[in-house]
Amino acid sequence: MDPSSLPPDPDEEEPVPIFRTWPRIYAAVVVCTLVTMALIALFSSWDY
Amino acid sequence: MSRLDWTVLVVYVVAIVAFGIWAGRGNKKIDDFFLAGRQMRWWAVGLSVMATQISAITFVGTTGQAYTDGMRFLVVYFGLPFAMVILCMTLVPFFYRARVFTAYEYLERRFDSRTRTATSLLFLLSRGLSVGVTLYAPSLVLSVLLGWSESATILLMGGSTIAYVIYGGNKSVIWTDVVQMAVIWFGIFLCFGVAIAQIPPTVTFTDALAVARTAGRLDIMNTSPSLTEPYTLWSGLIGGLFLMLAYFGCDQSQVQRYLSGSSLTQSRLSLLFNAFLKVPMQFLILLTGVLVFVFYHFHLPPLLWNRGELARLERVAAPSEVARVQSHFEAAHAARRRAAERYAQTREDVDASLYHQAADAFDATRGEAIALLRQADGRAAAPAPAATPTWLSRILGLKPASYSDTNYIFPTYILTYLPRGLAGLVVAVIFAAAMSTLSGELNSLATASMVDFYKRFLRPAGGDVHELLVSRLLTAFWGAFACLIALQAGRLGSAIEVVNKFGSYFYGSILGVFALAVLTPRASAAGAFWGLLAGMASVWAVATFSSVHFLWYNVVGAVVVFVVGLALTALGGRTDRRTG
Repeated sequence: MDPSSLPPDPDEEEPVPIFRTWPRIYAAVVVCTLVTMALIALFSSWDY
Repeated sequence: MSRLDWTVLVVYVVAIVAFGIWAGRGNKKIDDFFLAGRQMRWWAVGLSVMATQISAITFVGTTGQAYTDGMRFLVVYFGLPFAMVILCMTLVPFFYRARVFTAYEYLERRFDSRTRTATSLLFLLSRGLSVGVTLYAPSLVLSVLLGWSESATILLMGGSTIAYVIYGGNKSVIWTDVVQMAVIWFGIFLCFGVAIAQIPPTVTFTDALAVARTAGRLDIMNTSPSLTEPYTLWSGLIGGLFLMLAYFGCDQSQVQRYLSGSSLTQSRLSLLFNAFLKVPMQFLILLTGVLVFVFYHFHLPPLLWNRGELARLERVAAPSEVARVQSHFEAAHAARRRAAERYAQTREDVDASLYHQAADAFDATRGEAIALLRQADGRAAAPAPAATPTWLSRILGLKPASYSDTNYIFPTYILTYLPRGLAGLVVAVIFAAAMSTLSGELNSLATASMVDFYKRFLRPAGGDVHELLVSRLLTAFWGAFACLIALQAGRLGSAIEVVNKFGSYFYGSILGVFALAVLTPRASAAGAFWGLLAGMASVWAVATFSSVHFLWYNVVGAVVVFVVGLALTALGGRTDRRTG
């Protein structure tokens, strides 16, 4: 089955909440994860 | 547990079964039964995805691991958000547009029936066996701590889950998962709050973290490039990424959850919901375990966490020897407490060093108790014959089991120190975690059996009523099978490890097949099939003949399948791709 030949789902046009587009929401996930990891690194190495 | 705890637990189990049956009404065909009529919203599916992943043993085991080993296990989840983004961009649209019931159905359309059968069979074999372990592990812990019969715990947990999954299918699974996830979140915050509240007032939260840090419990970011060292940043990011891609992209128990979304957008959002929340949630669970670790600096823990083993020690060892070890243990605990308090006040290196000495001495006294138990066992009887034959242990690289009671730490803390009523609620959380995983797995096993085998080989067009009946019978079959495996698991011994290892051998390899299907339009069916076998063989070789950490197995499997698949396609000189 050729992936490109698959018909798009009619609901695919359903709007993406808050971020509006998929690339933006993916970027938000990546940025959020990197920030979380940075905070975890800080937490882990903090001199309490 | 008090009467109030029992009431909370019984009300919870009865209520969740009743709610599951109510939520699952109205199934008319297998679309409804297996995919909830493809009408679910992202938040419900997202919570169900999360609940299916958190098994009871993850909940109690992770906190226990944080107690004994610290928070470095967190890195396993670092790859998850990236995996979710990759899946949303690649596999999820493919599955959704193909209108498939199972992930493996897609492989037949892309390659051939042989590849679909092989991958679905591997899923049924591994998941079918591991579902018994999913049920057995928390049942064992709860039966030891609560003094229940192991069989009764298994049958209560398994029977109540089977009841609503047989009736309501995936709708029941998802809606009960939503409730169970809410209960689990509440339980996590509750335990976190209680652990902080019960540390002595002279020790601040910052002091507690300082003690945990000097004990190495907050070490998370290990940047060592070693492949054999467990839980390095790189094994978490790369190995964890492949593990999560395989689990969420190729394991029917997860794929089926997000295929129930009412649209592609809803399915994608359910995964991204997990991408945002999973790492913070695991962080909180692990930090709770660390706080329990600090808490037990100021409260005397039991000599052994497993009450059954402790009772056995008192039975088989000489009373004077047990008293001697207990006395050493209490003295070492008091010394560690003083050292921790001193370090919390001064934060001086010299006090950190004194704390490390006291902590090592304390750990050594626990080692004395374990050694005494082993010694007394050796005197009492000859060791029981291994459940796994020696040749099989050698092939699978199994090592002699070392003593571990990590899974008993957190439940012991709950039952000893949580206020009345709340202990019953947290035991209900453990039940919730077990039931939510079990329900999703039973539903997915029934789906793969029905769609990939029954409908293909036995009766392709049986009509809605017949297909619904067979789907329910298959759910009942897998439920009974899970209970049977769980009831026998105590006698299987290291065979449980065989089951777990068996799964890790092909997880990455199946991911490699899906990668071939989606990323390479030219890959042939023969390349995918033989690549799958080569990938599994490679993982077996790495696991048996090297010390590479298991998080890298999925990387090895996926890469070998991909490379071999492409090479065989090139050697074959033509593509046999289907247009399905």
